[in-house]
Amino acid sequence: MKPTEKKHIRLRVIIVGSIFSLFFTAICAKAVYLQVVRGSWLSEKAANQYEVSCRSYGKRGTIYDANLKKLAISIDVTSIAAHPPKIKNAPATAKSLSRVLKINRKSLARKLASNKKFVWIKRKVTPKEAEVVKDLNITGVDFIPEHKRFYPHKTLAAQVLGFTNIDDQGLEGIEFYYNEYLQGSASDYTILKDALGRGFDAEKSTSLNFSGNNLILTIDSVIEYITEKALEDAVKKFSAKSGMAIVMAPKTGAILALAHYPFFNPNAINNFSQKIWRNRVITDPFEPGSTMKIFAAASAIETGNCSPNSIFYCENGAYKIGKHVIHDTHEHGWLSLQKIIKYSSNIGTVKFSAITGPKSLYKTLRDFGFGAKTEIDCPGETAGILAPYKQWTKIDTGAISFGQGISVSALQLISATSAIANKGVLMKPYIVQAITDQNGQLIKSFGPRKVKRVISEKTARTLAMIMKTVITEGGTGVNAALEGYSVCGKTGTAQKIGEQGKYAQGKYVSSFIGFLPEKMPKAVILVVINEPEKQHYGSIVAAPVFKKIARKTLNYMNIRPKSKTGKLIVSLKRETRG
Amino acid sequence: MTKNDQNSRKVGGQSFYYDVRLLFPVLFLVGIGIVMVYSASSALAFKKFGTEYYFLKKQLLFALLGIVALIICSRFPYRFFRSLTYPLLILALIFLAVILITGLGYSAGGAKRWFRLGSFSFQPSEFARFALIIYLAYSMNKKKDVLKNFYVGFLPHIMILCMFTVLIIFQPDFGSVVILGVLTWVMLFVGGVRLSYLLTSLVLIIPAGYFFMVSADYRLKRITSFLDPWQHSANDGYQIVHSLMAFGTGGIWGTGIGKGYQKLFYLPEPHTDFIFSVIGEELGLWGVLIILGLYILIFWRGIFIAGNCKDSFGSFVAIGLTTAIGLQICVNMGVALGLLPTKGLTLPFLSYGGTSLLLNMASIGILMNIGTAKKVLKKSKVSKT
Repeated sequence: MKPTEKKHIRLRVIIVGSIFSLFFTAICAKAVYLQVVRGSWLSEKAANQYEVSCRSYGKRGTIYDANLKKLAISIDVTSIAAHPPKIKNAPATAKSLSRVLKINRKSLARKLASNKKFVWIKRKVTPKEAEVVKDLNITGVDFIPEHKRFYPHKTLAAQVLGFTNIDDQGLEGIEFYYNEYLQGSASDYTILKDALGRGFDAEKSTSLNFSGNNLILTIDSVIEYITEKALEDAVKKFSAKSGMAIVMAPKTGAILALAHYPFFNPNAINNFSQKIWRNRVITDPFEPGSTMKIFAAASAIETGNCSPNSIFYCENGAYKIGKHVIHDTHEHGWLSLQKIIKYSSNIGTVKFSAITGPKSLYKTLRDFGFGAKTEIDCPGETAGILAPYKQWTKIDTGAISFGQGISVSALQLISATSAIANKGVLMKPYIVQAITDQNGQLIKSFGPRKVKRVISEKTARTLAMIMKTVITEGGTGVNAALEGYSVCGKTGTAQKIGEQGKYAQGKYVSSFIGFLPEKMPKAVILVVINEPEKQHYGSIVAAPVFKKIARKTLNYMNIRPKSKTGKLIVSLKRETRG
Repeated sequence: MTKNDQNSRKVGGQSFYYDVRLLFPVLFLVGIGIVMVYSASSALAFKKFGTEYYFLKKQLLFALLGIVALIICSRFPYRFFRSLTYPLLILALIFLAVILITGLGYSAGGAKRWFRLGSFSFQPSEFARFALIIYLAYSMNKKKDVLKNFYVGFLPHIMILCMFTVLIIFQPDFGSVVILGVLTWVMLFVGGVRLSYLLTSLVLIIPAGYFFMVSADYRLKRITSFLDPWQHSANDGYQIVHSLMAFGTGGIWGTGIGKGYQKLFYLPEPHTDFIFSVIGEELGLWGVLIILGLYILIFWRGIFIAGNCKDSFGSFVAIGLTTAIGLQICVNMGVALGLLPTKGLTLPFLSYGGTSLLLNMASIGILMNIGTAKKVLKKSKVSKT
């Protein structure tokens, strides 16, 4: 090789090397630029790609009855979701998934072909469905652990408990009212996901730490069942539209049972009409009818205007006030106040209330809690309708005294009656007695709360005595008489107001309210039957339901009847005490 | 040359030298490569084959075979390649034709680029590159006195290049065509072909290349997405964007080996085409610079050998092999860093890939042989005098 040629080759080789070196320099510069200058910007972009922030809710708390029986629980389930960008063949995936999960293929295919990062395919599937989908092994399909609300006793106290939506948020009843306590706390955490959308390196959230709190109700599921069964039988027997019944402990205001018929199953809410979901005892006002007379009597006696033996002329069944004529079911002449209540005379009630006067009547009714919310811990409570007495016409005072032109909630009615049973002291009704955390430690407890003294103890005793005569021979409440117990009560039969605002023919609300035993009342029971068809008197429709609930409840509460043997037991007790 | 002599070792008492300036960087890179291939491919391997070691095992095997190839080539007198020129050329053309025409080609990602040999695949275009280098070196050496002549010194070489181009472009493997074209151009330039021919060819090839680029939709998209990858990050810019993110996340010190995220199915081919991005993320800037430094050492050693070879065939082979390695480095790193549009090229010694590793290590062996032959020549001269 000639030296000049050798030199030339060498020169050109060095030129090539130098040009490459320029490229290497460019590579070096770009690497520095990306890794130092743009480093934080790029790493943030990257983090956005693989960091997925998730929010998970802990398990919802359990709802217990007074004896710690589980009324509502949360169970672990799997939900199936998809990351559409990772789905390779949307139509084929939709086809196989829709067959397994029994969902609409077309809408699923549309979901899977969308631009969204995340879509639900089916929430809260059965373990078998989850298993089958897992076996299909489709890229981009994800399995997400969730909780599902389950009500083991199905329809029991359904309107009280309410239910949750698919996202575990309480929608009705206690579930709604105490949602904040019940729901598991949300925890935000970051999962790192690879490009296939599969999580890795996730902070495992121990569901225990995020669980919601538990509720302990005052409801006793045995009494609840007794009440619901008796109510169901009556509604069916009289072909009524609906019914409700409440059992309350008069000393405390605790609600022991709160029943509605028709029932619904909160595990499958969509199979039932929305109309029956709500807790009508609390939300729906109605005209009470004759049960109101006991409060009119309370007002008359408390103000000192009348005594049980004050007598009134009952006009033989028809009494004209202005343009209006008031009727009685049975014609009566002179009756004492006590008999007026016993026979449920409208005219008599109007007469003694005229003496009491609208102002005192209004005050007494307000004191008993009518026209105001009881502030019970349930959603959607109504205050009822009680117009101020200054707006009352002359007929209004009369009508209100026997339960027309006033509307009350069943809860107001039973609370007010409890005040009589509780020696004149009105208690605040309540349904949740305690909140505990996931370990069962008490967080909050709700005891009995006195609202105020409404009437004197003497008046209360007098009223109880009057109410006891209602149950005796000749009284309207004789069907509620329970052997061995002294029962106090009052019937109610109210004509319903039709669509035109007038009283509708043949549509009644039949009710019975009462408590027992007279001397030391353990239970106040209200039964309201809406639009019974075959009969409509409270004495015939509602009183027997009261009796049935009372007998079984007292038996369950171990309160023995005061028969001869009963007396013996009582005297024995006294001896041991002494 | 005394400094060089200090760095060479006598082996087995024979007058044979391993050029440690080539050997050490190469072995170091192969070592890093094995670690990074495992880090980059384990998730992919586990998903595809159920074992995270699938690619690692193969890479280890080929690294051992590559060392054997390196040793053999470094002892095999390079001059014998002259007589192998035409057999190699014909063999390369046959391989290319066979995978193009018959169904023997193993296609991956839409392109038929591989030959299946049992469970191993073989990439004929890599082999073609080697055959072309030998052919050009042989031809230019033979015609060195008439190389300035257009019909003798320029046209035949271009014709051979065109044969390869036609066969490869239909695979289609545009990246390899570009590499072969640039390689030929550089070798002709070093060989002493008239600069006017070379520059004219460059002027002619640019519009042709442009039309070719525009003719295929996917190639055009690659260009537009290269120009503004963030705009096309959902589809065609996806690879580049994720590669850039990998470098950015790595920063100066890196996330640590095995701790990168972009290889987890964000980056396509994290163990082959985009291994440099994985290195950028896991080893950071210092790792990138060390690796680039090692490549520059190897490259300049190659340039040195090419420039100092007494025999022009040796010079041409050396510059060809060095240019081929340099081009692969520049294109692969350029793509990973967003300097060049996406091309499916591997990074020598680092990327997973049997053919590539084997041939690149063999190339280093040949370079060593060319480097030592010069010395043997010198020594024999010394002994004669």
